[in-house]
Amino acid sequence: MPDALMLLVALVVTVMGMGWLALSVENHWEQVRGKAACPPATVKSLRVLGAVALVTSLVLCLMVDSASMASLVWVMSVAGAAVIVAFTLTWRASALAPLVFWTAR
Amino acid sequence: MLQNFRQSMAWVHTWFGLALGFVLVVVFFFGSLSVFDREIDRWAIPASRFEPQPMPSFDKLMRPIFEDMQPLPDARAFTAPLVNGPLPDHFDKVKSWGAYTTHRDPVLTMFAGYEVPNAKDPETMIFAQRTVDPRTGAALPDDRLKVGSGFFYPLHYSLTFYWKNVGYWIVGFAALMMLVALVTGVVMHRKIFRELFTFRPRKTTQRSMLDLHNLTGVVALPFHFFFAFTGLVIFAGIYFPIGHTQLVALHDQHEIHEALETGLPHDPAGVPAKMASVDAMVKEAQRRWAEKGMAGDVGFLQVQHVGDANGYVSIYRAGTDRIALTGEGIHFKASTGVVMREDPPPTAVGRINEFLTGLHLQHFRHWLLRWLYVLGGLLGCACIATGFLFFVEKRKRQHAKQGSSGARVVDALGVTTLTGMMIAALGMLIANRLLPDVMPDGWPLRGDMEKYCFWGTWVMAMAHAFWRTAPVAEGRIAPAWREQCLAIAVLGVAAPVLNWVTTGDHLLRTIGNGYWPVAGADLFMLTGAALALLAARKLQLRAESKITVNTPAMEAGHA
Repeated sequence: MPDALMLLVALVVTVMGMGWLALSVENHWEQVRGKAACPPATVKSLRVLGAVALVTSLVLCLMVDSASMASLVWVMSVAGAAVIVAFTLTWRASALAPLVFWTAR
Repeated sequence: MLQNFRQSMAWVHTWFGLALGFVLVVVFFFGSLSVFDREIDRWAIPASRFEPQPMPSFDKLMRPIFEDMQPLPDARAFTAPLVNGPLPDHFDKVKSWGAYTTHRDPVLTMFAGYEVPNAKDPETMIFAQRTVDPRTGAALPDDRLKVGSGFFYPLHYSLTFYWKNVGYWIVGFAALMMLVALVTGVVMHRKIFRELFTFRPRKTTQRSMLDLHNLTGVVALPFHFFFAFTGLVIFAGIYFPIGHTQLVALHDQHEIHEALETGLPHDPAGVPAKMASVDAMVKEAQRRWAEKGMAGDVGFLQVQHVGDANGYVSIYRAGTDRIALTGEGIHFKASTGVVMREDPPPTAVGRINEFLTGLHLQHFRHWLLRWLYVLGGLLGCACIATGFLFFVEKRKRQHAKQGSSGARVVDALGVTTLTGMMIAALGMLIANRLLPDVMPDGWPLRGDMEKYCFWGTWVMAMAHAFWRTAPVAEGRIAPAWREQCLAIAVLGVAAPVLNWVTTGDHLLRTIGNGYWPVAGADLFMLTGAALALLAARKLQLRAESKITVNTPAMEAGHA
C-alpha cells in the first residue's frame, strides 16, 4: 500500500476511534441515539474498540515513518480527529450513528 | 487571599493568560504561518518560483560567489560601534563560509563570517549574506525580503524586537507562562475527559466560548505543551547565557578541549594554503552515507579558517527523512581533501536534543505532519482568542454597570491582536505586490517598506479596534469584530488577485502546473477570506437578533 494511502487509512481509523470513545460518554450517546441510555456492556465495548482503533492507527503510522516521526504524526492526528468528532457531534451528530450500527435501537 | 487551591490556580490562569495571551496569540499565529515560510517566500519573491534545487557545485558556482561577498550596509552599521576606529572598506580575513538548504528551497542562502580588525572583543565577527539561484549563480537583489522565513518566522520567536534581545525574552517568558497556563487550566477544568468533545454553540456566548476554549486547549494539549517547551529548549542558550557570562572561561576552555578531541583545529595556523576540490569531498561524503544505508543530499556545508593551512570543510547530510535538521557530519582537511573525522552517532542526550529542536523547527519532508502542525497552531490561536472572549463576556455587563472600561479595553486589544494581526499580514503581502520593483531614491529599501506597511496596517487596525469597541462599555457586542472580519475577507481576496495581476500566476495555472507553494498560499488566503466572511455574517445576525430581542424590553422601559 502506498504511504499516502496508509496515512489516510490511519487518519480515518483515528477518527473512528475517537468517535467510539466519544460515544462511550453518556451525553454524546444521547446526541447520536436519543434518550435511551447506553447499556454498560456497550460502553465497555465502545471504549475497547476506541482503544484498539487508536493502537491500530499508531501501528499504521509506524509502518510509514520512522518511530520518531510516526509518534508526532499520530499525536497530531488524534488532536485533529478529536476536533472532527467534537464538531460533528455539535452540528451533525447523527453522522456518527454508523459507528454503532450493530447495537439495537 | 484565595479560598482554595483551585481558585488560586484560576487567578494565575486568568491574569497571566490575559497579559501574555496577546503575545502568545501572535507567536502561535506566525508560528503556524512559519510552517510554510519557504512557500510564503515563493509567493513574495516571484523570481524564486521554481523547483527546489540540491546544493550546487562548490568549486564552480559557490566559491566565486563566496569570494565576491562582503558585508551589507546593515551589518556594517551593526558592527561599527563594536570597533575602535573606523571599519575597513573591505574585510579580507574570512573566518568561515557556509550554506544551508532544505528540500523546500529553490534559492540558496550563503553566508560568510569575517574577522573584524580593531574590534573591542577580538572574537567579534561580521557577516555577509547572499541569496542566489543555484542553477546560474545569479544573485537575488539584496533588498528583497523573504516575507516568510525573513519576517513572519523571526516575528514568531523574537517579535523582531532585537534591542538587547528583549523580544526573545518576552516570547520566552510568554512560553514559560503558557506551560503554567496549561497546568493551571488542567487543574481548573474538572471534566477533562467527560467534556473533551463538548461544544454547545446554542448556549450563552459565555458558555460556548468556554466550551471552545476547553476543547481547543485539551485536544491539542500535547502540541501546546511540546511546542512551548521545545521553543524554550531551542533558545536555551539565550535564556541561560552562562556560557557567555559566569562560565565564559570554562566555555572557552571547553572549545579548545573539544577541538583537541575531534582534531578539528580551533584556530587558524596563520599559514596560507590552497583549497582542494570541495566537490570531490561532497562526493566522498555522499559515498560514505550511502555505504551506511543513508544515501542523502547535502543540507549544510561549512568551510572553517578559509585559505589557511588549518582550514577544514564540514559536510552534513540534510535531515529530509528524519526529525533532526542535519546529521552525519564528515570533516575534510581543506588543503588536501583528506577525511579528518566522521562524527560518531549522537549520544542519548544529543538525540533527545535533536528530536526536541527538530520537531519544532520541522525541516523534514512530511506534508501531512506540516498541515497537522498548522492545525495545532491555529487551535492554539482559537484557544487564546476564546479565552479573551470568555474574559470579556463574563465581565462586560458588570463593568457596564460599574462604568468601568476594563472589558472594553480587553476586547479592543483582542480585536487588535486577532483580526488586526491577520489584516497586518495580508496588508504586508498586498504591499509586497504593489510596491515598485526598485524604490525611488531617498526611500527605504523595498523589504523595509514592506515591514513598515505591516506595522502601519496593524496600528490602523488597532485604532479602529479601540474606536469601534465602544458598545462593549454598554454590555453589547463590538462592531469592530465584524468590520475587521470583513476587512480580512476583502484583503484575503485582493492578495491572490494582485498575485495574478502582477505575476500572471493565477490559481488555474499554479494548480494546473502542480506548483503548490504559490497555489497553496493563494488557497489558504481565499479559505481564510471565506471563513472571515462567514464569521462576519454570523456576527451581523447575532447583533440584529440582540437588537430585536432588546427593543421591546427597552420600549417597555420607556413606557
